[in-house]
Amino acid sequence: MTAFIRRLALPALATLAAALVAAGPAQAHGLVGKQDLPIPKWLFAWAAFAVLVISFVGLATLWRTPRFAELREQATLRLPAFLEPLCGLIGILIFSGVIYAGFAGTDESAANVVPTSIYVIFWVGIPILSLLFGDVFRAFNPWRAVGRAAGWVMGRVAGDGPEPVAYPDRLGYWPAAAGIFGFAVLELAIPVTDRQDPSTLAVLGLIYAAVQLVGMALFGVKAWSDRGDAFGVYFGLFATLSPLRWTGRQLVRRPLLAGTATLVPAAGLVGLICVMIGSTSFDGFTASSLWTDTFAVPLQGRFVDAGFSREHANTLVFTGGLIAMTGVISALYLLGCAGMKSAITGGTDSTTELAKRFAPTLIPIALAYVVAHYFGLLSYQGQAMAYLLSDPLGDGSDYLGQADYRIDYTWISATAIYYVQVVALIAGHAAGLALAHDRALLSFSSVRTATRSQYWMLAVMVAFTSLALWLLSNSS
Amino acid sequence: MTSPPLAHAGHWAVGLIYLAPVAILVVTLLVISRRDRLAEAEELRQGGGGAAANDAGGS
Repeated sequence: MTAFIRRLALPALATLAAALVAAGPAQAHGLVGKQDLPIPKWLFAWAAFAVLVISFVGLATLWRTPRFAELREQATLRLPAFLEPLCGLIGILIFSGVIYAGFAGTDESAANVVPTSIYVIFWVGIPILSLLFGDVFRAFNPWRAVGRAAGWVMGRVAGDGPEPVAYPDRLGYWPAAAGIFGFAVLELAIPVTDRQDPSTLAVLGLIYAAVQLVGMALFGVKAWSDRGDAFGVYFGLFATLSPLRWTGRQLVRRPLLAGTATLVPAAGLVGLICVMIGSTSFDGFTASSLWTDTFAVPLQGRFVDAGFSREHANTLVFTGGLIAMTGVISALYLLGCAGMKSAITGGTDSTTELAKRFAPTLIPIALAYVVAHYFGLLSYQGQAMAYLLSDPLGDGSDYLGQADYRIDYTWISATAIYYVQVVALIAGHAAGLALAHDRALLSFSSVRTATRSQYWMLAVMVAFTSLALWLLSNSS
Repeated sequence: MTSPPLAHAGHWAVGLIYLAPVAILVVTLLVISRRDRLAEAEELRQGGGGAAANDAGGS
């Protein structure tokens, strides 16, 4: 064990012990609210810090050779040939149904199935499904299914058509990053009445589908789906964490995180993941009075004074905030990579190259942020799908006999949700550390260098954890 | 009606408790990195730079 690790392990254990000891007095002071927590929220940040440092020490001492590269996948299930087109067809039907509901259903967002389908089930539910079952979205991806069907028909009618344009390496994940950023602007910066409006969402859904079809026509279905389709890529990155992978007509099993560890980074991956983490962080930050009182209200006032309408001022301020938060996340990560660069003597890789190579290690953190910030939304608002599916247009129908179902806010307590959020954050960051450690062992020539290179990644992980817990403490 | 940032010093102060672990870790890392670098330079100067030379990264 190096001197550094010895020096760090003891304070970490002491911090964890202090956090546990402090549980009694805090409880005695009756620190309860909506959440009945046994310790002050800030102490969770300190406990998380201790857990991460201990995990780091454990990795440095017990994990001394790269492991993920040697792991093998095992075929578990052979799938019938009809399943893939069937899933694609189901995906097209669901997408068509959502678009139809957007145009034909009620304008009242709470009574129309579209907003909940998009912001809760699609945006939050599928990432969690992707972790559990692999890239399920790819199978049901409607625009990919249309693209593949169109390609199949064209092949039958016109034979070998023109070859698609080669997807430029430099473009990488940038179209996906732009798409996710655009969705984040819609979710966080556009006035509520517009972003929840079913017909607006339907129009945007059609525009998004059209862009995907153009992208696939230009670069080919696979190339565009793998890099340019924002949602496909977004869910696909989370699916790399999963122990299941769907490949052609086979379902294969692999160790947890192995898919992420073997992901080959391309241009724009750092940008995409920073947008993913930045948008979730900003969503949490906007719930705080710090954002409202210190930034939002004063800046909106200035824009209004400059002649903007209140709505436009609001959109500009929130878009600016989203960009700033993404910038903060990117800067933190790049600082960590610069630290990594300074810690390895004689290395030839630039900070940018290191940032690109280690970017996949941020994927579990991005998922942890999604769970931490939206688990409550999924737990409660997700139930609304029961009555929304029964009456998708909000016109008084009751197809499934569930139109009178109401959300049960008691099935999970606010305290339990908070624990899920904290556990997700700690697990996500610990997974990130493990991935970074393994990648460092592959990248650098000695265990000593690999461990030392990760000192600063540890700092990045601790910073992200503290930021997430601080945001949670503000928003709940 | 807007209020100056100073009026929200309480928010910032609470935020500092969350920032403290990061600050402690960064300071510790800076000190340790400096010591490591000095020890490495000393090692190289004394001619026993095998371990230090092996540190050179490369992928």
